Amino acid sequence: MRSLPFLLPALLLSLAGQTLSAQTAAPVRKVADTKAAPAMVKNFKLSGSPTAKVQIEIYTDYECPACRDLYMNTIPSLNKEYVQTGKVRLLHRDFPLQQHKYTRLATRYANAAGQMGKYDLVVNQLFQSQPEWSQNGNIDAALAKVVPPADLAKIRELATGPDTKIDEGVLADVAMGNTDGLRQTPTIVILAKGKRDVISGAVPFSILKSYLDKKLAE
Amino acid sequence: MRRGLLIAGRLILAGIFLYAGYAKLREPWLQFAVSIETFKIVPEAMLEPMARIVPWVEVVAGLGLLVSFTARWAALLTTLMLGAFVGAGAWAYAKGTDVDCGCFGSGQREGLGFKWFAEDGAMLLLALAVTVGAFMMARQRRASRIADIA
Repeated sequence: MRSLPFLLPALLLSLAGQTLSAQTAAPVRKVADTKAAPAMVKNFKLSGSPTAKVQIEIYTDYECPACRDLYMNTIPSLNKEYVQTGKVRLLHRDFPLQQHKYTRLATRYANAAGQMGKYDLVVNQLFQSQPEWSQNGNIDAALAKVVPPADLAKIRELATGPDTKIDEGVLADVAMGNTDGLRQTPTIVILAKGKRDVISGAVPFSILKSYLDKKLAE
Repeated sequence: MRRGLLIAGRLILAGIFLYAGYAKLREPWLQFAVSIETFKIVPEAMLEPMARIVPWVEVVAGLGLLVSFTARWAALLTTLMLGAFVGAGAWAYAKGTDVDCGCFGSGQREGLGFKWFAEDGAMLLLALAVTVGAFMMARQRRASRIADIA
């Protein structure tokens, strides 16, 4: 019985060893030293002052619940306290995930709306009504609640039409996401002094604020 | 034999904790704070202090395990940390929370399930066994020293 404490480690050696090797094999997030976002970005996805000290890039998928959480709970405060005050520049990047059935269509609607000057309105509504349209793909019905019928018809035409130009910005975002080593959405990239800090997960505003204040004070 | 097993257990545990601490320290503290937040247990005001301190505590515990003099206390610390971690995981699992443990750096978002509990339970048992073994070994050493003096 007294040897039990010594035998247990022996029994667990292989299991713990496997755990360690499995964990070490997983790639670790990198913090790259990339000065600016090289990927092509449509202007409607950018907001805030071009001279802002810090830029935040947000990768989202319209059908991802955690992205909805970020958009509903963190982004409004971020906009109010940092973007509108010129401290931070915000860039929205699309990163549609394969496993989501309607996200590509939703992304096309958002980018089509961007070309019509309705990007923020449509993006907000897509996240707001995500639980509904993600069930049946009826994005039209969700947007009809906030977009005038004539505008919605034009957005629909662009989004569902054969023109692939609308996807160019999305493809560039995805390529940039892959460069950033994205493994989940939402992911935010905080650019300050030429350094890209890649943070995955829905960041609560209170800790993002603390982090940004320190970055701005540097 | 016992001594050899104890040293092997200490080395494995030290490796796990040193790597866990290193993986967190090489990322911005915000990433680990986000991971802690997913457990929905820690108050928001405590997220930043925890995200800054825990990785260093892991490194100190890992280094402590490598030194015979401090090994038992470091093993006790790892047991307490793993116990708290498994407890937090069980709590989150019971509440159906989607957790990113952040154990060995970010992005390993896996649902809490059998694999997670098996791995972390195994590490907890290892830490417990090393702690008990290290304290017993220290007691035996002390007893033999007293006998020598007598």
